[in-house]
Parts: sequence; C-alpha cells; structure tokens
Amino acid sequence: MATTRARISSFSRNVSTVTSQNPGLKHGPNGTMLISSGIPDLDKILGGGFPLGSLVMVMEDEEAPHHMLLLRNFMSQGLVQKQPLLYASAYRDPKRFLGTLPSPASSKGDKSSDLSHEKDIRIAWQYKKYFVDSQLNLNTNNGGQQDYCNDFDLRKPLDRHYFSGSNVDCVCFKDSPNLSALQDRCAEFLAKLSRNEGNISSAGRIAIQSLCSPQCKYSNDEWHMLSFIRSLKSMTQSSNAVVVVTFPPSLLSPSCSLRLQHMADTLLSVRAIPDEDKELAKLLTGYQDMIGLINIHKAARLNTQVPVILEATTFSIKLQKRRFLVLECLNQAPVDGSSGSSYGTSGGCSGSSKVGTLDF
Amino acid sequence: MADSICRTLRDGALEGELAPTLTIKDSLASPFAFHVFSHILLQLSSHVIAQKSQSQGIVIVALSRAPSSYAALLNMNGVDVASSKKWIHILDCYTDPLGWKDKTRKSANATDCSPQISVATSSFKTVKDVDKLFSVITELGRGLVGENKARFCVAIDSLSELLRHASLQSVAGLLSDLRSHDQISNIFGLLHSDLHEERAVAVLEYMSSMVASVDPYHSADGQKGCLGDSFSQQNLTKGKFNVRSKRRNGRVRVTCEEFKVESGGITFASVSSVDGTAVAGLLPKVQFNLQLSEKERVDRSNVVLPFEHQGNGKPIQIYDGRRSLEESNSEANPISSGKKEDSAMGEIIYFRDSDDEMPDSDEDPDDDLDI
Amino acid sequence: MEQKNWNLLDESLGLHINDDAKPWPLCGRFVLVEDCVDTSAAFVLHHILKRSFSSHPSSAVLFLAFSHPFSHYDRVLRKLGCNLTAQRDNGRFFFLPMLMFQCPGEGKPNHDGLASVFEQIERVITLLHQDKKSISIIIDDISFLEVAANGSSDDVLNLLHYCHTLTSEYGCALIALDHKDIYLNGDRTAVILEMEYRADILVKAEPLATGLAKDVHGQLMVLNKETQHQHGITAIKSYNFHFKIKENGIECFYPGTKIQ
Repeated sequence: MATTRARISSFSRNVSTVTSQNPGLKHGPNGTMLISSGIPDLDKILGGGFPLGSLVMVMEDEEAPHHMLLLRNFMSQGLVQKQPLLYASAYRDPKRFLGTLPSPASSKGDKSSDLSHEKDIRIAWQYKKYFVDSQLNLNTNNGGQQDYCNDFDLRKPLDRHYFSGSNVDCVCFKDSPNLSALQDRCAEFLAKLSRNEGNISSAGRIAIQSLCSPQCKYSNDEWHMLSFIRSLKSMTQSSNAVVVVTFPPSLLSPSCSLRLQHMADTLLSVRAIPDEDKELAKLLTGYQDMIGLINIHKAARLNTQVPVILEATTFSIKLQKRRFLVLECLNQAPVDGSSGSSYGTSGGCSGSSKVGTLDF
Repeated sequence: MADSICRTLRDGALEGELAPTLTIKDSLASPFAFHVFSHILLQLSSHVIAQKSQSQGIVIVALSRAPSSYAALLNMNGVDVASSKKWIHILDCYTDPLGWKDKTRKSANATDCSPQISVATSSFKTVKDVDKLFSVITELGRGLVGENKARFCVAIDSLSELLRHASLQSVAGLLSDLRSHDQISNIFGLLHSDLHEERAVAVLEYMSSMVASVDPYHSADGQKGCLGDSFSQQNLTKGKFNVRSKRRNGRVRVTCEEFKVESGGITFASVSSVDGTAVAGLLPKVQFNLQLSEKERVDRSNVVLPFEHQGNGKPIQIYDGRRSLEESNSEANPISSGKKEDSAMGEIIYFRDSDDEMPDSDEDPDDDLDI
Repeated sequence: MEQKNWNLLDESLGLHINDDAKPWPLCGRFVLVEDCVDTSAAFVLHHILKRSFSSHPSSAVLFLAFSHPFSHYDRVLRKLGCNLTAQRDNGRFFFLPMLMFQCPGEGKPNHDGLASVFEQIERVITLLHQDKKSISIIIDDISFLEVAANGSSDDVLNLLHYCHTLTSEYGCALIALDHKDIYLNGDRTAVILEMEYRADILVKAEPLATGLAKDVHGQLMVLNKETQHQHGITAIKSYNFHFKIKENGIECFYPGTKIQ
C-alpha cells in the first residue's frame, strides 16, 4: 500500500530498470516490482519476471520432471541474490535438494557474446512491449557485479555457502497430517517480508514442490489443499515475495485443478516431448535439442485489468551446450494461430498432456 | 393442458381422497417454471375471488421469491389486493430462512425495516424444521378459511429450495401430510429438476398427481446446465409444456402444448401433432392372436386362394414365358385361353418379339433410360 | 445526467436507461458474471463498479473481496477514472477484505462463520440504507467463498440467498463473479446452477473459438431476463459481442465491426 501511494502516477509501465539498491529487483508495469524466474528467456516472455506478491503455479507433467528445472532455477536465482528462501517438498530430506541447485555461469566473456548472438535470432518473438527494456537490462546486467538474472549452468552445483546461511528454510510436509504447519511456516516467513515499509529491502521466495503429492496424508482432502493455496495467495499479496507451487493436475479432480488454476496469478505448465519421434522431428526445427515444452497459460496481471496477450504461448525447453536452459518459440509455420486454440483447450481441460499427440 | 390443470386444481379434492398435487418442473435450458407457477396462481386467485373453486384461500410458501414480488404480481394483474387479506396469506420463508437476521436484530435491537406490503405475510425462520412448517401452513390456512369444512390451497414456490434445507424424506413427508390433510384442496409446487439427483425428482413426481414439465424446444441437445442452449434465441421465449396427469380412473393423460413468454405473462397454444412416443412405449410392438373363433374359422375356409382354379376343373394356365407342352402348336395363342369363349369381353394378345429373347427377362425395361 | 459514451456492455446491462425514479438501473437485480481460466471477467465487475459511482451521487458499493486486496482494485479503478480511496473516505465505498476468511474445517459447522459474514454485510447495508443510498453488493469470487466454506455448497448458497434477500428488502444490486469452467465436469454444480436460476442478468465471458488475439480479448454473452418493475415488464434480451480490455475502459463491438 505504502509503495503504491508513493507513486502518484499509475503509468509506470516504462520504468523498468533495476533499482539501485537491490539488483534482484526491478520495476514492472503498474507499480509492481519484479524478481527473476532464474531463466532469462522466461523473464523476457513474461515481460520482466514474476511480480512480487504473485502466486505462480506450475502444472507438472505426469512423466517429465521439467517443473524441477523451473523450481531449481527459481531457487538458485534467489540464493545468488541472497534473498530469503523457503523450500517445501514432500520428500523426507528437503535440504538435500539444495545440493542439486545449479550454479550461475562463471565465464562472463564467453557468455555475453553468446547472449548477444542469441539476441539477434530471438528478436522476432520477444515480448515486444518490453523489448527495449530487456535489451537495456542485458547491457547493464553484464557490466554489473550482481545481475538481475543469471544464466545457470545446470551441470555445476551451487556453491554451498549460498544455502548454508540462515536465510534458507526447508520444510518437509510428507508426514504432517495437514497443511496447517506449512501454512504457519509460510506465514512466519512472509510476515518478515510484509509490504509495510516504503522501501523494499529484500524479496523472498517460497518454492513448494508437488503440493498434492499422493504420499501426503491430506492428499485426499482437496478442499484443504485449496484453502491452503487460497490463504497462501492472500498472505503473499501483501508481502514482498513470490510463491511458486508445482502440482500434478492429473492426480486431482478436474474441478479442483481448475480452481487451483484460477487462483494462480501466473500459470505455467510443462509437458514431456516424445523421444525420437520422427514425425515431430520433421515438423519442428531443433527437435534434437528439445527436452520438453512449456506453456504459459496466464501471466500475472496485478493492479491491472488488461490481460497479457503473448505472441505465443507454447515454447520449447532446450538445453544449450547441455548446460543452459533456454526457451524458444516453436519454429513451425502455423504456430501462432494454432497455439492460441490449444491454449484454449488445454486451459479447459487440464489433462491436456494426456492427449497422445502434441497439440501445439 | 394449462386450462385443464387449473380446472383440476379448482375442483380440488374429493372427500376422503388425497388432494390433487401439481409439480411444475423445469431446467436451465428453459427456466420458465415460475411463469407457469404464477399463471396458475393468478388463475386460482381469480377462481377463489369469484368463489368458483373448492378452495377459499391460498397459502403461498415463499422460499425463492420475496413476498413483495407476489404483491406486485397480484397488483399488476388487477387482483384486488385490498381484499386479499381475506383469502391469501404468504408464509415468508425467503427473507430469513435460517434466522440469521433475527439473531443480529435481536442483539442490535434494530427494527424490521422490510418494506411494508399490502398482502398478509408471516415470517418463518426455521426452514430446516419441516414438521413445524407443516403445522404453520395448516394453521395459516385455517386462519383464512376457518375451522369448518372449507378448504384452502397451498403453493410452494420452490421445492428445490426446500430440498436444499431439508432431506428428501422429510420433504416427501410434508407433501404427503399436506395431501392427506382434510382442509387442503390442492397443492402446487415448483421444482428445478437439474438441481437435484434423479431420485429426488422421481420421488416428487411420484408424490404428485400431475407433473407439468417445461421443456426447451430441442430437448435432444438439452445438456445439463449447458448455457449455450438458453442463449439460443428460440428458447428465450418459447418452449414445450408437457403434462402428465394421473386421473382418478387410473388413466394417465399426456398432453403437450407450446408456450410463449411475453411481457405480461405466459400464453399456451395447443400443438397439432402430439407425438405418440409415449403411447408406443406402453404397448407391445407386435400383437399376436393365436386362437381363432368359430366364425373366423368358417370365414377362413371360405377364402378363395389366388390361382385356385375357379369353376370348370381345367388345369391352371398361367403364363410363365415358356411354351407349355399343350400350347406348342398354337404360336400366337392368347394367354388366357381359359376365357376364350367370351371373346366379346376383349383380349390381350401378346407376341413374342423373337425367340432369342430370354423368357420372362428380369431386365428392367427402363434400364437404358438416362434420367 | 451528463451524456456518457455507453458501450454494448452498458446497453446489455440496461445501464443506459435514464430513469429518475431508479437512479441505479441495477437496483433490486442480481447480476451473475461467469468466466473461465482463459478469459477473466473481472473487468465486468470493474466496469459496473465504475458505473455505479458515476450513476448517481447517492450510490454506494459494498465490496466483498475474496481474491484481490484493496491496493489492486484501487489501482485498476484509478486507471478507469474512479478514485476508490476517495470514495471510501466519503463513505460510499465499503471494502470488506475476505482474503483470509476461512471457516473452521474438520466437521465443525460453517454456518456460524458465514452468518457472521452476513452480519457484517447487513450492518453496512442498514447503515447505508438510512442515508437513502442505492447500494450495490459486489462479490469478487464465489469460488473462493466455496473454498473458504470448505466446499460446502449449501452454506455458500445460504449466504448468497441472504445476500439475495437484500435485493428485495433494501433494493440492493447484487453482482457476483464465478468461474463456470470449474463446474463443467458435473460435480458439485449446485452453486452455479442455483445462481443461474436466480440471476436476473447473466454475463458470460468466453475466449474466442479461434484463440487469443491482441485486438479481441474474448466474447461476452449477456442474458437480461424478464423483470417486473413499476413500469411493467421488460422482455428477455440476449446480447453477444466481442470485447477488448484496455487500462482506461473496455471496447465492445459486434463481431467484425471493429473500427481500428
């Protein structure tokens, strides 16, 4: 509230630079502050990153673990920027997961040339409105000591000192009878980041992996999970934090899954890609490098009523040099028209990944 | 028939029998049951005023509409509201069905500030208690018509709403208690069929003597809750009105009408073609009669079968396209040699074109026609 | 009243009707707005909110927020040319944040919690009613209310019924948003069906069959049911048009008639 008051004009869309105090934050449209998703391409697609106070839901594929890639990069990005992190999962030792986080790419010179090269080919699909800004950011980013957004090398584990500090908290919710313990932990975490001070000093990240895992005791109580997400959402709205929750829609009833989708500010889904599919290889350029697909169903629209209409909603997930996660627009002739309709259908039935063929 | 329903309700119950009960059901595809409900209510009111009906008063159990809307309805249709206190009473279960408002008003000492309406109402604040509802309804009815043998009718404006608050069993119990009450002339209620399980609808249909269902024109694609249907222009104002009424003699009368909703109310028109599907389902498809009566046996034996030679004992001659042995010598013999003697009657002479023509060819003579 | 630029949405909701006896045309009516994941219809609420404030100086709004905080609505409405903070200070805008409202679960009855919500609503309404205000009650998400009531559709319907009684008792307008797609697979449809029966005006937002586009954000279907009022009866009308949402308003147009 205080920050919104301070800014009298609401037309703040064009101010999208990294704030001087904190490199991990930047101004987004409509008086929001953004943090990076940890994947430079995803930031660009979403118009800068995830806005603080938003709930990001990732619909898992029942076969491919691509949601883990998103989670890892999201968490690493926060840790590199020394932002507080709360990680919760249904596995017995959630701390172990921190050892699998990727490390930011070290060789800067090599990377920046790489980036500028990429920039030329990816201009066409970049999110136009923010194109100028993101270009600016890239320039400033590479020069600065700490970046708004890093490229993460998936083969290099994150240095221990990043997550041995006190700002990292891990919760295992496998054995708890319900989610109220987790909710309390989240409330405690978010209370420290409440949006009362005028100046945002730090932004927090909460990552919840596979919320509706079947091994949890409450996994039959859909209303309990829904009310947890709902209260998490409302707590987040008034704090300087971003919550990323992944869930398997195939294990939920369709209506429950749709309710969760409605609750999300930003809604993503990941899908597996069939291995060695000759037809697909013919259809898509760069099929060999693809490991999966990501769908952007909804981009957050805090403080505005205008929906974010993306140029494309389906992107391929690729590993560049087997190290860096990149998202690319699918290079296939009628991509745009058909991706729009697939967006419609897959939104309607969350289990679109069940359809044998890829309906992009 | 909307008229016949009204007549049945007007005539009311016979001594010692269950009161006629009408359930009006609709679905979202054609949500006009309330129009039918208010049509019947108005008809009955005019009968009551004219003292043409068995019932002398109406008790409206208002669950889904505000009492003021009934006052407005009566007013707009020219019913004398001033005199209405004598024959109509609204049991208001709408304003405060669970007593929430009552609780806060008691604590805040606030006064009831609902708009004053000209129709007599009394409020009911514990809808979950169906037994109490029954006793209040009968009490109100007695208040209207007195303690004697005079009867009154009960209109329940949403059985659906009642089913939400109380169990199916208790609602069915309420209906059966009302039907067997000796001062109740008739009962009619409204039901949104797609809000309930099939069983609930079946139970209420079983409990009632007439079921009027308001259906969309094209019921085939009337998917449950599909909004696309209700948006189709035709279903916005028109529909079919099907009535099944169980008559006292044990027959079921099925009628179908069209209705049209206009400003000012609902009008009914009879449809010329009543589809016989209901009847067809009732009767076995093929009927066999294995026994013959004596007369039938005699008649059957008298039937002359085709080709049986009639009269002179000569062999049967039917032309089959081949020369029979007897006729081989007479090339152009007329076919019906049996009737040669009366040539005055005229004859058909047939010549074969040639011998290579296949006898009695199957070929279609119009085969080569190119149409 | 000053001349406004009425769009198709205003027309379909009957907001353009200038009637001195009824300064706020939605008085006594229940508007149900339905949307889906792909196409949010929250903008319809914003639009009605804005129109209600500009309709008449005596209008007031009670807003039950289940999905977004005040700051969000404040920013959105400011861009539409309506200052909620000022209206709140003037006593014309009452914001009830229900974001953290949750009925106790585990078999405990919900109705006490919901009854207390209604108590809050009624208190505000009686207060406003004394000032002879024409009041709108806006509920921004029924599906969140269901979650707060632990999925008990009966309790949700009870609360909504009580809100509905205020439309006849005080002449309030009731505007509620729900998500249609949640109920499409057929379980627990009671809430949405019952609401559809009750609604006087049904607004349904859907994506275009051809997918999302930059110029057309979706289509609206509005069913304005027959109503009885002092001047007789208005007939059933249905409207079908496309819309584009902008920061400072919405554009509505019939398919294919958009002027660039």
